[in-house]
Amino acid sequence: MSIELVNVGVAQLKIASSPVILRTILGSCVGICIYDRNKKIGGLAHILLSKSTNPSQPEKFADTAIPALIDQLLKQGCRREFMSAKIAGGASMFKFTSQTPLGLIGEHNVAMTKKVLEEKKIPLLSEDTGGSSGRVIDFYLEDGRLKVKAGGHEEYYYKV
Amino acid sequence: MHEHIKERIKTVITNLTALPSMPEVVTRIINMVNDPNVDFKVVAHEISQDQAITTNILKLANSAYFSKGKEISSIDKALVTLGMKEVKDIVVVAATKQILDKPIIGYDLPKGELWKHNVAVAMLAKRIALDKKKRNLADLVFTGGIIHDVGKTVLALYVASTFKDIIQSTIENQITFAQAEQQIMGFDHQEIGQIILKKWKFPEVLQNIVRYHHDTDNAPEADIEAVSIVHIANTICQMAGIGIGGDGLYYELSGKAIETAGLDDTELQYYYSLTPELLKQARQIM
Ligand SMILES: [Fe+2]
Ligand SMILES: [Fe+2]
Repeated sequence: MSIELVNVGVAQLKIASSPVILRTILGSCVGICIYDRNKKIGGLAHILLSKSTNPSQPEKFADTAIPALIDQLLKQGCRREFMSAKIAGGASMFKFTSQTPLGLIGEHNVAMTKKVLEEKKIPLLSEDTGGSSGRVIDFYLEDGRLKVKAGGHEEYYYKV
Repeated sequence: MHEHIKERIKTVITNLTALPSMPEVVTRIINMVNDPNVDFKVVAHEISQDQAITTNILKLANSAYFSKGKEISSIDKALVTLGMKEVKDIVVVAATKQILDKPIIGYDLPKGELWKHNVAVAMLAKRIALDKKKRNLADLVFTGGIIHDVGKTVLALYVASTFKDIIQSTIENQITFAQAEQQIMGFDHQEIGQIILKKWKFPEVLQNIVRYHHDTDNAPEADIEAVSIVHIANTICQMAGIGIGGDGLYYELSGKAIETAGLDDTELQYYYSLTPELLKQARQIM
């Protein structure tokens, strides 16, 4: 039996259940993975920017995508007390010769993600953020583990 | 420095048959665009000599991105409806797809990722040029965007065996990935790209876009606007993770490029926020 691999694109949000694997590729964006360890249902939001400027696209921004993600999980019968989060991404250009805020997007994305998770009282169990590597992340809904592949190197985060 | 790798790359670039090739008709069309005396009939005739390219061109010309809602049934019609420059862009997309749409192992890019990246960079660069009222640069930065990373297709094989050293040098010496490629292998993907374009006899301005896309500050003054626009489009697409590989964001965002392109902070953020829509557009012609 092969396990279904679902790609989550830029500014998309997807929910699935065990044993699906949710995959996304990140630069300065942040991948937010929330898992209900009891129901083995989880969701991945791939946000592009921190603060919403367009109410018609809640998936694009950390401050609107996280509440949307939690809501969708609740609709699937998940419960807050079983939910936990892992995040990855938020890289920045290695060097910049200008003071443009474009260089800070990665950092801002990570900061806003953490702030909203805290407000929503979803414990953040692990993060693989910052630096200048691109990341391919696989979120295994079988047990909630997260694999982060960056610059030819793989790291697993198991805590749920 | 890995001397044996440098020697192997030297052999590859001096032996032109080892580099990707380009149908002559494509080179002729690219060079015709800048000739004010060109007759559409001659161009159409040139193109229709190559049946495979003609079929692909018509398919692309009828895509949502290029067609603007009009049905295009022949090369003549395409030239009349879309114009010479637009047809040239279409020809370049048709001719480079097979070179770029494949796995690029050393850079950790599965099949399709480099192609998607280059198409997205091309579209964003063109969009920036049009928004900034640089109409004369629009088709040029599109073509430049399509081929800017072509050097990776040749260098990938050597990056595969030296990747760890390149990344280590990047971090230890606080240099860009391209500078580290230079240091470890003797060449970077910009230089190899330029050599490929020389082989194809593409115009110098396109060679310079490829050669300086990570190094705007050293680009020749005459071409700095075009180089800057492609540099910014490339940086934004990398940040959005579009076709991002093992080299990640280990490059520099040039303040000089931002200044030259005349983009302010709001505009830069705006283009970055547009990337999901840009990707949808890219899929129309991939
Ligand atoms: Fe590049
Ligand atoms: Fe690139």
